[in-house]
Amino acid sequence: MTPSTVAKRWARSTPLEISTGEARRLPFLMLLPAIVAIAAVVVFPMVYSLYLSFTDYDLTRPAYQFIGLQNYIDLFSNGDFWQAFGRTILFMTLAVNLEFVIGLLIAQLMAKAIVGRGLLRTVLMMPMMFAPILVGFQFKWFFNAQLGLVNNLLFSLTGDAHIIPWLVQVPLGFIAILVAEIWMSTPFMVIILEAGILSLPTEPFEAAEVDGASGWQKFRHLTFPMIGPFIYTAMAIRSLDLARVYDVVSIMTAGGPGTRTELIWTYVYRLAFTGHNYSMGSSMSYVTVILSFLFTLYLFRNVIKSRWEGRE
Amino acid sequence: MSAKKNISRRQFLKYAGLAAGAAASAGVASKFEGSPLSATTVRAKGFPTVLGQSFQGVTVRVHAISGANYDELYKIIPEWEEKTGAKVEFVFKGDGFSTDKRLVQDFAAGTVDYDVCWDHSSFFSQYVKAGGLEPLDAYFSADDLKDFIPRLVDAARRDGSLWVIPRHFDISCLHYRTDLLGDKKPPETWDEFKQMSIELTDAKTGVYGTEFAGKEEALSGRFYEVLVAEGGALFDDKWEPVFNSPAGVKAATMFADLYKANAMPPDMTNYVWEDVARNFANGTIGMYTEWYGWYSFFQDPKTSKVAGKFDLARAPMGDGKIHSGWAGHHGFSITKASKNKEAAASLIKYLTSPEGNELEAKLGFLVARQSVWDKIIKEAETATNPLDKKRLELALLQAQEDFKTPPLIAEWLPMSNVLYPIVQKIILGDVEPKAGLDDAVKQVHDLMDKAGYYKAA
Repeated sequence: MTPSTVAKRWARSTPLEISTGEARRLPFLMLLPAIVAIAAVVVFPMVYSLYLSFTDYDLTRPAYQFIGLQNYIDLFSNGDFWQAFGRTILFMTLAVNLEFVIGLLIAQLMAKAIVGRGLLRTVLMMPMMFAPILVGFQFKWFFNAQLGLVNNLLFSLTGDAHIIPWLVQVPLGFIAILVAEIWMSTPFMVIILEAGILSLPTEPFEAAEVDGASGWQKFRHLTFPMIGPFIYTAMAIRSLDLARVYDVVSIMTAGGPGTRTELIWTYVYRLAFTGHNYSMGSSMSYVTVILSFLFTLYLFRNVIKSRWEGRE
Repeated sequence: MSAKKNISRRQFLKYAGLAAGAAASAGVASKFEGSPLSATTVRAKGFPTVLGQSFQGVTVRVHAISGANYDELYKIIPEWEEKTGAKVEFVFKGDGFSTDKRLVQDFAAGTVDYDVCWDHSSFFSQYVKAGGLEPLDAYFSADDLKDFIPRLVDAARRDGSLWVIPRHFDISCLHYRTDLLGDKKPPETWDEFKQMSIELTDAKTGVYGTEFAGKEEALSGRFYEVLVAEGGALFDDKWEPVFNSPAGVKAATMFADLYKANAMPPDMTNYVWEDVARNFANGTIGMYTEWYGWYSFFQDPKTSKVAGKFDLARAPMGDGKIHSGWAGHHGFSITKASKNKEAAASLIKYLTSPEGNELEAKLGFLVARQSVWDKIIKEAETATNPLDKKRLELALLQAQEDFKTPPLIAEWLPMSNVLYPIVQKIILGDVEPKAGLDDAVKQVHDLMDKAGYYKAA
C-alpha cells in the first residue's frame, strides 16, 4: 500500500457513528467495573451489616435470630451511647474550628512569604505524613504522667514536681487528644486555604489598596468571603474525618478511664470487637453514619451556596 | 523375517509410569528403614520418643502465639518433623490478644484451615461455644496427663471434656521492696496490704505504695481475685451476677481508697502489664501483685533499679481466708476442622513433653509438668541467689493451692468489657462502689440473659 493510498483512505474515514441509546449506555458500561468493585467491597458489607443490626448476632454464638428493632430501641435508651455521641460532636466542633483558625493564620502567613515558601510548606506538611497510630503513641508518651515530655518540661520551668495525670483527669484527657489531632491535621487545612488565597484575583485588592483599606478590612471584606468555598470544603472533609476518629483516641486512652474520653468509634469497637456484640455494633454504626450523612449534606449545601455568593 | 513390533505411545507412557513409581517406592522405603513404620522406635539423644504412627506427607498447620520467649519452644519442631515425616507450617503468629481475635473470627466464619491452635484458660470457653475445638480425651490418656499439675488440667475442662493441654502457666504473687519494708513482714491480708501501701507512699521520693494494672481484662482480673479472697463470687450457681455483695463492695472500696490516698500512681487506669512492671523496675512502687514471668527482668541490673532489693510472698488473703491467685495457662488445642487430628495430637505431645517443658523452664516460664518442677527446684538449690529457689517453691505452692481462673464461660471477656470501665469509675471516684457495682451487675445480667443463661429448661 502506498502512502498516497493510506492518505486517501484516512481522508475518506468518517467519525464513529453511534445511536442515541448506545450513547446513553456507554458511560454506564465504562463505569461498570468500578461499580462492581465498589458493590462487592462496600455495598454488600453495608447491606449485610444493616441486616445484622436487626438480629442478635454475637460472634461467639453461631446461632442468631431476627429481633426487629430491639437493638435500635436499646440504643436510643443507652445513656453511654449518647454521651459518647455528644462527646464526639463536641470533639469535632472544637477540633475543626481550632484547625480552621490556626490553619487560616498559617495560610495567610505562607501566602505572604516570598522566599522559601516551598521549604516552609514541606516542613509544615510533615505532621500529615505520620500514620495516626504513630501520632497516638507519640502523644501518649508526651502526656505520660511520670515519664512524659510535658510534665518534665513543666518541672524544668516551674520546679514543681507535681505530676499531672494528663490522660486521666477531666478535661485534660480530652484536651490531650484534641492537641494530638490538631497537631496532625492542621496542615491539611493550611494546604486547602493557602490554595484558595493564592487563587484569588489581585485586582480587588489593588482597588482596595487605592481606596485606603487596612489589612484587616481587606481580609474581612475580600479574602474571607472569596475563599468561602475553600473553607467549607476543608471543614466538610475534616468534619467527616473527625466524626470517624478512632486511631489516636484508641492508642492514647482507649476511650477511658471509665468512659471519660469515650467517642463513638471507641465505644463501637469495645462493643463489637472486644464484646463480640456485632449486632449492637452494627446498629450503632448505622445511626452514626446516617447522622454523619445528614451533617455532610448540610455542609455541602453551604459549599454550593457560598460558591453562588462568591460569583455574585 | 519377523515383523518389527513398535510399542504405542500409550504403552510407552504406561511402562514409564510404572518404572517411575517403582523407583520412588524403593527410594522412600530405603529412607525409612528402621522407621516407626517398621514398628521400631527412634530415639534421638535428649528428645522424647515418638511412638507409633508416621505422618509422612502430612502438614500440620499451626496458629501460634509469638513474641518474647514463646518462639524458643518452636525450635524443637524440626526434630519432630524428622521423626514423623510430617511438616509443620505456621499459618499465623501473634501476641495473645491478636491471636485470640483471629481465632474467634475464624471459628465464627468457619474459615479454620489449621490443625493446632494456641489456647488459654481465659479464652478457650468461647472457642468451645463457637464449636471450634476438638475434645482431647480421645487423644490424651490418663497416663499422658498424670505428670501435669492437676489444677491446670482441671482448668481446661468443661462440659465433661478436656479442651486444652497446658504448656505453661502464670499466677501472681506479691512483689515487695525489702529496702522499703525493712524489718516489717509483708502483708498477709488485703487489709494489711491496704494499710501498708498507704504508709509506704512517699511523695518526696516519688514512691507509691502500690499499683494495679488499671484497664481492660487486667483490671477485671485483679478485682476478681480480691473479690474471691474476700469471700465473694462473680456468679451464683444460677449464673446470676452477685459481685455487688459486701465482699465486692469491700474489694472495690479498697481500690478507691488507695487511689484517693495517692497510694497509687494517678494515671494507673491507663496501665497494663508492661506499664506496671516498668514502674516497679524503675523503683517507684513499694509492693504489688505481679506475674512471675517478670522475675528475670526485675533481677537484671541493666533493666531494673530494684535488682536484689525485692522479695516475693504469697498473694494476700481476704475475709474468706482464701489467698488471691488469679491465674491462667497457655496451651495447645486441636481444631474441630483439622483433617490431621492424630498428627496434631502428636505435635502437641512433643511440644508439652518433659523436654519441651524443661527448655521453657530454663527461660523462666512456669511450666505445667510436676516432674520438671521437681527437677528445677532441685537444681535451684545450688543457685547463688536464694530467691531463685524460693520463687520456684512459691510458684509451685500457688499452682497447687491458689490457682483460680475466671469463670470458664465464653462471656468472660464481654463481661469484663462491661465491668472494667465501671471499676475504673469507682477507682477515680466518679461513682460510689455500691452504685457502680449495682450498675455493673444489671448490665452483666442483661448480657447473660441475651446469651441464654436464664431460659427455662
